[in-house]
Amino acid sequence: MKSLLKSLFRFSFLMTALAMSAAIMAGPAITAETIVIDGSTTVGPIAKAFAEYYMSLHKDVNITVSESGSGNGAKSIVNGTCDIADMSRFMKPTEFAAAVEKGRMPVAHVVAVDGIAMIVNPANPVKALTVEQVRGIYTGAIRNWKEIGGPDVAIVRISRDTNSGTYETFESLVMNKEKIHEGVEYVGSNGAIRQRVQSTPAAIGYVGLGFVDRSVKALDINGVMPERNTVASGKYPIARPLFMFTNGYPELGSHLHAFVTLYLTERGQEIVEEIGFIPVTNYRK
Amino acid sequence: MEVGTRRIMDKSFSSVGIFAIVLMAVSLVILLQPVIMRGIGAFAFRGTVEFREMMLHQFGRGDEDKILIETEAAEAARRPVYELVEAFEIELQEADSEFRSKYRSQFRELKGRIEDLLGPAGADPGGILPRKRYGQTRWDRAEKKLHDILFVEGYDHSDPSRMGVRIFTPRVDDFRGTSLEPLFGILERDAEKMLKPKPTLYWRFFFDESIDSHFFGGIWPEMLGTFYLSLGAMLFAIPFGIITAIYLAEYSGTGRFVSLLRTCISSLAGVPSIVFGLFGLAFFINTVHVSDSKSVLAGSLTLALLILPTIIRASEEAILAVPGGYKEASMSVGASKWRTITTVILPAAMPGILTSMIISLGRAAGETAPIIFTAAVSVGKPLGLMQVFNQPTPALPWNIYNLATEHEAVDEIRHVQYGMVFTLVLMVLMLNLAAILIRARITKRLRG
Repeated sequence: MKSLLKSLFRFSFLMTALAMSAAIMAGPAITAETIVIDGSTTVGPIAKAFAEYYMSLHKDVNITVSESGSGNGAKSIVNGTCDIADMSRFMKPTEFAAAVEKGRMPVAHVVAVDGIAMIVNPANPVKALTVEQVRGIYTGAIRNWKEIGGPDVAIVRISRDTNSGTYETFESLVMNKEKIHEGVEYVGSNGAIRQRVQSTPAAIGYVGLGFVDRSVKALDINGVMPERNTVASGKYPIARPLFMFTNGYPELGSHLHAFVTLYLTERGQEIVEEIGFIPVTNYRK
Repeated sequence: MEVGTRRIMDKSFSSVGIFAIVLMAVSLVILLQPVIMRGIGAFAFRGTVEFREMMLHQFGRGDEDKILIETEAAEAARRPVYELVEAFEIELQEADSEFRSKYRSQFRELKGRIEDLLGPAGADPGGILPRKRYGQTRWDRAEKKLHDILFVEGYDHSDPSRMGVRIFTPRVDDFRGTSLEPLFGILERDAEKMLKPKPTLYWRFFFDESIDSHFFGGIWPEMLGTFYLSLGAMLFAIPFGIITAIYLAEYSGTGRFVSLLRTCISSLAGVPSIVFGLFGLAFFINTVHVSDSKSVLAGSLTLALLILPTIIRASEEAILAVPGGYKEASMSVGASKWRTITTVILPAAMPGILTSMIISLGRAAGETAPIIFTAAVSVGKPLGLMQVFNQPTPALPWNIYNLATEHEAVDEIRHVQYGMVFTLVLMVLMLNLAAILIRARITKRLRG
């Protein structure tokens, strides 16, 4: 027993030593430049894909991406703690003013277009809603699926937290200044909404297009499905641009400039499309 | 109390104790068993030919000629599938509009799902993102995708008073009577030949960087980040913690101010960790500007604050527990107070102090909330030693949360998430084990 303990001890000591030396060996790979990205969980997948694509071309650049919500992205730009703030809404006047007051001039780059899809569990027979009905669901006027053509089950309403740009867009495009009912459940990311809807037959939620997969069902809104051409043409009613904000226009020739204009290249647009969002232009034609 | 009653009381007490221990052991097993079983799935699995191809392209690993031969064999097995798909595509273009509208969307879905399973056909590169360039790299995922091809997931809405009931219907029924009908039989029969799964040990999962937001590759940046953060936290917390403990135990006396100080430290230990996280953001980053953005340094400082109270209180208790005779004996041979502390009291209190340190180390490694706003990111490179002062890093606890909820393709990469949980649990368990062993060693040495 004693010798076993001893060897275990030696083993853990060895592992620690190994990890240390490995860490130090990794040291020389110093990267010259860093780009720090913070903000929206909707824009996150685009930023992550862009970051890894860019880093595969430029080995000396370290790009870090955090996904903490559009509100945090705006705060980071105001406080100067990030180079790029991902935002799924435009900056609010107060945020803009706060940034300008600190001598920072936010510049918006629209990297993609997104439709907010209303999603339900595939077990739900409801296929289509109108914007008024969605508003009714979230104000609490409609409480049961049977009122809108479904079975007699109470609606479980899921929303993003108020820090989210998707929430703000939803509020301005759907809610029309009406108050969201207090029975609504708030979650912290697009992914969390999708998981909640996946596992709850009576749930309804809203996510960016890139988060719609086969495990949930996107609803037809005002007779229009959220798809590439309906969103790009403006037919789908709940659509919005996705932003990356920088502090001033980045210096020409810098990595930051190359990165933040990646969405203008054909490859950048293809990446946007592969993730499930809509490129800003119809580049293929 | 009568002897009989006392005995019964004793017995019932010890049986409650044993019950509690058994309960704890069982829950530990229940908790750890899936963590270990599923976690190992990230390292040991049946890798397909797509996995070996991906490793060759992305990391330059594997025998190129062998993989080429294997790919060709797999390609040959896939040919009938592609031929059928192509033939049907032409048929669809030439057919009348009724036929076309009947099959077009179903065919498009089928084609997409085949691409999901086998990757882009032939010379087509597939896409820019690596996730679009390869088929399923793991056989367990491939089996799932194969099932999705063979069966259509539908919902039976015949009872309008209830939510639909999930039903699977064979997809071949949708294409009955068309030239695609034999495709499904071929896929079912030859899937193994098309993907060539074989047992794979991917131990480099620990040491590889992530490719395409954790779709492929490993967790090295996360491990390294966790390592830096917890080590950094210890670096700040240990000296301050022990010095404070010595002061409180040996110098401070028992004034009103000191007891207030003690209360403060104790309540600090009870402050929720998210509060430390927000404090770290507001103080270290936005006020003091220890770095331009989130950084390992800011995260370490925040974690150090979090574990400081534990280290102080535990070390103080350890120092106070040293028998008074030690101190008196040392003083009586003319040693100064400081010398007594450094040569007699601290060594004797070492087991307790060490335990507090390593338990705190485990806590620092596992905490998520303090690093969300101060250090952690979801994508980033592994950092060199000199980069920790101004760059943020991925870290295990945060990335586990990220992969479990926020990631855009949570269901596709569960195995990575499980692998991370396994690694974190392993790290913390090993730290705790080390604590126990070091303690045992020192205690033994002190007894002589």
